[in-house]
This record gives sequence, structure tokens and C-alpha cells, in this order.
Amino acid sequence: MSARLKPRLGTLLVVATTVLLCARALPAQAIGQGFELERAGQYDQAAAIYLATLRAEPTNLSALLGLERVLPPINRLGELLPAAQRAAAASPSNVALRGVLLRTYVTLNEPDSGRAVALRWAAAAPGDEAPYREWAMALEDAHRHGQARDVLLLGRRALGRPSAFGIELAELSQLSGDWEGAAREWAAALTDAPVQLPNAASALAEAPDAQRERIARLLTGGTPSTLTRRLAGELLLNWGQPLRAWAVFEPSVATPSADAAFAARRFADLAGARSTPDARRARALALARYADLAPEVGGAAARARADAARAFIEAGDRVAARAVLERVAQDSNAPPDAQRLAQRAVVEALIEGGQRNEAAQQLATNARLSPDDRASLRLQLVRARIAAGELDRADTELARDSSVEALALQGWIALYRGRLREAQRLFLAAGPYAGDQRDAVDRTTMVALLQRVPDDSFPELGSALSLLARGDSLRAVAALRLAAARLATGESGGGGRPDLLLLAGRVAARLDTLQQGTALALFDEVVSTGGQGAAAPAAELEWARLLERRAQTAEAIRHLEHLILTYPGSAVVPEARRELERAKGAIPRS
Amino acid sequence: MKRREFLTTLRRYVATTVSVPLISVVPSYRRTVVASLLIPMDDAQGDHLKAYGVTYRVVQAGIKAEWLLNYRGGSFLLPDGPAIRRDAALAGVSVEPVEEAHVTAIRGEIEASNMDAVPLEKAPKVAVYVPPNAPPWDDAVTMALQYAGIQFDKVWDFEVIGGKLVGYDWLHLHHEDFTGQYSKFYLIYAGAPWLAEMVRFNTDAAKRLGFVTVPDLKKAVARKIRDYVTNGGFLFAMCTATETLDLALAAERVDIAAAFADGTPMDPQADAKLDWSKALAFTSAQVEPNPQIASFSDIDGHQVNAGPRRQPLGAFKLFNFSAKIDPVPTLLVQNHRQVIPDFYGLTTSFLRSRLKPSDVVLADEEGAPWVKYINGNHGKGTWTFFGGHDPEDQQHQIGDPPTDLSLHPHSPGYRLILNNVLFPAAKKRELKT
Repeated sequence: MSARLKPRLGTLLVVATTVLLCARALPAQAIGQGFELERAGQYDQAAAIYLATLRAEPTNLSALLGLERVLPPINRLGELLPAAQRAAAASPSNVALRGVLLRTYVTLNEPDSGRAVALRWAAAAPGDEAPYREWAMALEDAHRHGQARDVLLLGRRALGRPSAFGIELAELSQLSGDWEGAAREWAAALTDAPVQLPNAASALAEAPDAQRERIARLLTGGTPSTLTRRLAGELLLNWGQPLRAWAVFEPSVATPSADAAFAARRFADLAGARSTPDARRARALALARYADLAPEVGGAAARARADAARAFIEAGDRVAARAVLERVAQDSNAPPDAQRLAQRAVVEALIEGGQRNEAAQQLATNARLSPDDRASLRLQLVRARIAAGELDRADTELARDSSVEALALQGWIALYRGRLREAQRLFLAAGPYAGDQRDAVDRTTMVALLQRVPDDSFPELGSALSLLARGDSLRAVAALRLAAARLATGESGGGGRPDLLLLAGRVAARLDTLQQGTALALFDEVVSTGGQGAAAPAAELEWARLLERRAQTAEAIRHLEHLILTYPGSAVVPEARRELERAKGAIPRS
Repeated sequence: MKRREFLTTLRRYVATTVSVPLISVVPSYRRTVVASLLIPMDDAQGDHLKAYGVTYRVVQAGIKAEWLLNYRGGSFLLPDGPAIRRDAALAGVSVEPVEEAHVTAIRGEIEASNMDAVPLEKAPKVAVYVPPNAPPWDDAVTMALQYAGIQFDKVWDFEVIGGKLVGYDWLHLHHEDFTGQYSKFYLIYAGAPWLAEMVRFNTDAAKRLGFVTVPDLKKAVARKIRDYVTNGGFLFAMCTATETLDLALAAERVDIAAAFADGTPMDPQADAKLDWSKALAFTSAQVEPNPQIASFSDIDGHQVNAGPRRQPLGAFKLFNFSAKIDPVPTLLVQNHRQVIPDFYGLTTSFLRSRLKPSDVVLADEEGAPWVKYINGNHGKGTWTFFGGHDPEDQQHQIGDPPTDLSLHPHSPGYRLILNNVLFPAAKKRELKT
């Protein structure tokens, strides 16, 4: 090479490099213009850019995908085919380009060509699920669900994997309303992918009511596998049949294993999310089984039994609760906290079962009860006696107790006997420290009511409130109305009347439709006659709440707005605002 | 607008859109001694958050309002009228009727102090970028807007890619991960139904919009959002949206996504290849390479999910700006509290060392290497980034119930969000920076 040529070669190299760089940059710039035109809705011009890019670079995927987007809206999809064919031919191993070609054939409804592309792809990649999946997705996008299903089944046979594409087939079945088919596929898919159980249960749980029994029968017919049983169990639980769910589920956790223990615990937790007695019982049964499966070390089994007993009690099955508790009580290895829980739960079961005298005997004789538990259970027993109308016995139980808790309970006893001032004095003496916050609020509410009633003694009101405490709401409403009428006509000159009517209305509002009508009338009366007292805005708030529950939202909003604007100084205005926000949907429901 | 036109518009508005009959907001033509309503935004206010909603609705009805920057916590001055009073009363918003003489005195005080009065003229059209599924975390801005009663539209990738942002004055981004890595929860929450749904939604969107991978789609979305700001849009972003938006912009030609997101591992030389000139707020950051750590880069100072790197929460302090010279930052920091407890997010704060020199720091934690709240201009538009997830839920966890703002009507953190919503309503000529 001569010295004269060297500089020229250098220049040429620079020029060549620049040209090459420009050549690489140009398609990218052009694609960018295409995107911009596409975004501006100028599909014809965008298509022209993409086609030009493909003429220069036939395998440019972005351009090809751009065409795939812009050509259908301008009814020129046919022009994509030669471009896709050229691209696939130029780079036969490029799966993305194969995918475009396959989708194009499917979208153009050229099934034979689509099939040919897919099968060539499958032949080139034996064992790969992608060709069948892409083919099926294209068909699904074209709303040819039946054909998509056929393709997945073809793929399943070709791959020799009976559970291949199970999830896709389940979703397709679900889309077409074939819930039984979906259930069948999910059950099959679980064999290879047990971790999909929650997804399967979640997907099938959406089945319409009419389909559920069929799904349940399908999953529970014959001799279902362990995972199928668990799936069926979770579904039945979700569909509100907890006891049947447990019956189906239970054999799947019969054989001890870590997996079975985990499954039993999960079932118990799922059942715990529901509050019906049957769900509580199902939870209790699952917890008891879990206790049998759980390792004894660390006290997990004993604690689970104590929890199971509590769930049995909540379900109303005290016999089962006691049986479980006895196992804990007899278990010398049970940790002290589980033992304590068990002893306490036994007495609680007696109290809640209405066996108050037996409970009292236990409290007097069971030496294994801790002093703290004994004290709190005694108060629980007193509450139960008060609720049952056994006021004298309740009083006796509290005879030697000078705690604030006892003062509060004595206040309720005095109240139900109609000794209003004595009750007021005891509630004030108990202050806010007895019981939990709700108890304190209940007492304060009652003190507020008693302050408005001028009588020192008012047996009719005591009886009405006692009926209320015993859960006889219907009679309590009538009794409260009678008491209010007495106040209106009596010597007291009507003091406290709106408050008693408001209370009657609140109780009636929680009852059936007929009583709700009574409640509406009572609220109306209080608002109309209550003047600027505290009862009127409170009644209007309750009125709005009841209307909201009855789906009369517009009417509820009208009352809430009236309340806020009419009684701006009322203590219930913040609550009313919150209700208003809720009625308008501005507060998230959590 | 002429009075006749205004009344016509107002009547049409009342007839069609608003539940509050604002027709009577127009003061009587006969002069009364009470000319205006002051919505105080100091501790006298009954519901700070809803005060923004009342003001927004007034402006939305075509009625001029004023934002009195630095006057009693950033108060609002509205024309008096029974409908506005009614709206305020229902919302629990405290208003003070002020006579003309009092208004004059207020203006005098504003003139003589570090205060300013900014006219609010046009209610901004608000878009919130929200995925179509329901992620198991709340969105502070959506909640703030709903609580305050400010209308907004939801947009997502289809609308953004489809160029629909041009119709909005204000865009909000929250927990979105613009690196396309599903907030890097993919491995941590593998198997969770909400994650599976999120992956399905995003994959489907990418496919439908012609992108090979979700990260490609999100990068394109990020670029569209940047274009929106360039063309004059107001962008407000919180939590991960701040950090990941800039990462996605800087990584236009670099793979920073883990293999689970796009099928290929992250480029090992990614840090060196990032082009920060394309980003809005940050520079020179280093990407978190571990796909199992739900952290994106070292932009975030607190690194809540990065084990030993996690920093404790402190409190951040709002800066004081000159209201007459710097109305924009002044407006964005209007509050009745200057020091606010910090709150975590997947991106909680921004390291000072990662800020671009042009960024305006609105709030920081004194003595800490990070800041909390920043603002800047890009093209004809403005962006504001606020770290953290939920100002009233310091440790928001996945699956936690959404915050009930009626329990936090004075939230200073939420006020900052709502400052941003009203920001585009402020008359342009007044915004000197």
C-alpha cells in the first residue's frame, strides 16, 4: 500500500463506518416515526413506514408488530401476510417471527396455513409447549374458543403429557361456561402442580350458583385423589357448605404427614373466615384433626385443641368442646398455657351453655383455675345471670366483690330493678375502667338516658331494659313505647320521652321489615317532636342508617344533609358526615 | 368570561354534573357587607382535606377563587353564597364570612409579608394512572381525591400509549413499577393470586400493544409520560412511580429488568449504560441487581425491603420559600404543619447525591442524606415527586385495608398531595418559576 493511498483509505473507512451507522440508525428512526403516526391515529401512514422498514430489514420485529396493530383497523391485514412470510423465511428459527406468521394466518382465518406453521414449529421444537400455546392463544383472541381447545388437546397428545395445558384448558372451559370441564382440568392440573390448589379454588369459586352442585359432584364422585378432595372441600367451604366441605375434605388429611397437617390447618383458617355455626364447627373439626397431626413438641397440638374447643363452643356443640378439652386437661405434657386455656374454656362452655349453676360449682371447687381466671369467669357468670333475669343470684355472686367491675354490674342489676338513681350512681362510680371500651360506652349511654328521665324509680323502664338485655327485642320495643307514653302523660312532664322512643326505634330498626316500619315511624316522631334536644339529630342519623340499609340511599342522603345543616352543633354531626361519605361511596369499605 | 356567559355555563353545569346546587354561589348583585368566605387552613379548619374539594368545586363551576399562600396555613378565599356555605357545612369544612374591609386588611397583610394571593381559575382535568386490576395496596392520591370529592379519570397503559394524556391537565402516578418488574414482588410473592393477576394483565397489555415484554411496554409508557410533561402537563408521582419512571427513562436502551420479567437477565453493565439525560429528576444511580430484593436502585434512601440497608423513619421538614418570588414551590408546600412524620414506601425518599442540580427540594429530613419531596420543570411542564406510599400509614403492608381518610381529616401529608391537585388551577401568569 502506497503512502499516498493511506490517507484516502482512512477517509473511506470513516465514510463507510458513518454510512453503516446511518443505515442502522435509519430503521430505528423510521420505526419511531411509525409509532408517532400510529399514536396520532394515522394508520395508513404508519403502515407505509413499517412496510418501508421491512423492505429494508425483513426481520424487523417492531415493524412487523406495528403492522399487526395498524393494518386490522384499516382493513388491510392481508398485506401483513407476505411481510410475515418473508420474515419467517429469512429467520426460520426466530420464534417471535413464527408467532407473528401464525397469528396472521389465524386472524386471516386461514386455518390450514396456520396449522402448517404451528406444526412445522412444533416439529422443529419437539417437547416445547410454545407452538401449541401460541396457536391456541391466537385462536382464543379470535374468539374461536372451541378450536383453541382442540389445539391444546392436540398439543397434549403430541407432547405425551396428559396434564399439559391443564390450566389453559380450564380457563377456556370456564370462558365458554363449561364449569364442569374447568373443574376436571383443574383437578388434572393439580397432579403435576399441587401448588396451584389455591388458584384452582379461587377460579372455580366464581362458578355460578346453578353450576356449583355439578362441580361438587364431579369432584367428589368415585374415588377422588387427595388434591381433588381438598379442592372440592375448599370450594364447598367457599360456597357456604362447611360441614359438607369437611366431610369431603376430611379423608384427605386422614393419613398423618406434614402435608396433611398443613392442609388441615389451612382448611381451619379458611373456615375461620366465616362466622356461621356450621363454619365454626367445621373449623373446630379441622383444628381437632390438625391437633392429631401436629407435632406434640412445643404444645402446638394442645393449643390447637384449646382453639378447637373454643370453636366448638361458638358452634354450640358443648359436648364436643368438652371432649376436646378433656383431652387437653388429661394431657400431662400440655404446656401450662394450654392447660389454663382448657380449664377456663370448660367453665366458659358451661356458662355459655346455660349451665350456670354447674359453672358456679366449678368456680367454687376447681382448684386448677388460676385466680385471675376465676375472677373474670365469676364476672362472666354474673353477666350471664343478669342476662337470664336471675338478678338476685347475680347480686349474691357480687356480694363480696368491691371491684369497679362489680360496681358496674351492680348498676345493671339496679337498673333492671327500676332503681334509676341507684343505677346512675353505680355507673358513675364504676367510671370508664370496668370492662372494655364497649362496656364503658354502654354505661355512659345509659347514664345519659337516665339523666333525662326525672324519676328515681321507674320499674316499667327497668323491665323494658331487662327485656332488651335478655334479647327479647320485640317485647322490649313495646315496653319502651309504653314507658315513653307514661313519661309523656305522667308527672314528669315528658322528660326523656324522645330518648326512650329513640331507643325503641334503634331496637326496632334491627328487627324484621315490619318492625323497621315501626322504627321509621318512631324516628320520624322523635325528629318532629324532639325540638333541639340531642335525641332529634340522633334519631335522624338512625333514620338515615336504616334507610341506607334498606337501599334507599337517596332518601338517606337527604336526611343526613338535613341533620348536618339543621343541627350543626350536635355531637352526631361527625358521624353523620361519615355516613354521608359512605352513602356517597367516598369512604373505602374495608 | 362575561357575567351572562358565566351564568349560562353555571346553569348548564348545575343541571348536568354537580350534586351540589352551586347556582346560588353567585353573590347577590346588591352589595352586602359580607363579600367573601375565607376557608382557613390553619388549626381552625375542621377538615383540611375536604377544604380542597370545596375550593375545587367552586373553581370547577367557573367561579374564581384565590389561594392565599402562607396566609393562615394557605387559606382559600371564595365568593360568599349559600350553596358554597352548604357544601362546606356538609363537608365539615370551616368557613369564615369576611367583610370587604376584612378582605382589604388581609390583602394588606399579604402585601406586607411573605405571602401572596394566587387566583385559581380553571379546575384541572385529573387523570390517575391505575392498573385495571385491584392491587392489594391502596393509592394515596386516589383516596385523597375521592375523599375531597374531586373528579378524576383512570388511565392505564392503553390510554397512555394511545395518546389520551393530552386531554388532561394533571397526571398522577403511584405505586407503578415502570421497570416492568411487578414491584420486584415476583419472587417474594410467587403464587399469590393478586400477583398472578397482575402478571397476566400486564403481559396481555404488552402483547396487545405490540411489545415483546412488559418492561418494553412500561418503558414506552414512561416515555409517553415524559412527553406529556414536555408538552406542558403536570405530573405528580409518589412511591415507586418516582424512582422507576426515571429508571425506565434512563434505561431506554438498556436491560435493567430481571429475567423473570423479560426472559433475559439484567445487563451486567447497566449502570454504565444508563442515559440520565433522558430522566426527569435523578442522575448517576446504580440499579439493584438482585431480583429477590424489592428495591430498584440507590435513589431511595430508606431501602425498606433491602434488609440491612433499611433506614429508620424520621420526620421531614417543609422548606420555606419566598411566596412572591417562588410561588410554585410555595404553593406546593402550603400546610398547617412544617414538620411531618415520615412514612415508608417501596421508594420512601430520594438520596441528595442522586438529584439533578436543577431539582427544587421542597422537603427534607434535616441532617439525613435524603430528601422527601422534590419538584422540577421539564419542557413546558412540571413534575413533582413525593416519596412514600401512604402519609397516614407509616408501614403500609400488602393486604392492609385502605386508609380511611375521614379519620385523618387534618393529615398534613395528604395536604401536600392535594396542593399538587390544585396547582394546575393556579393562574399561569402568577407562576413565576
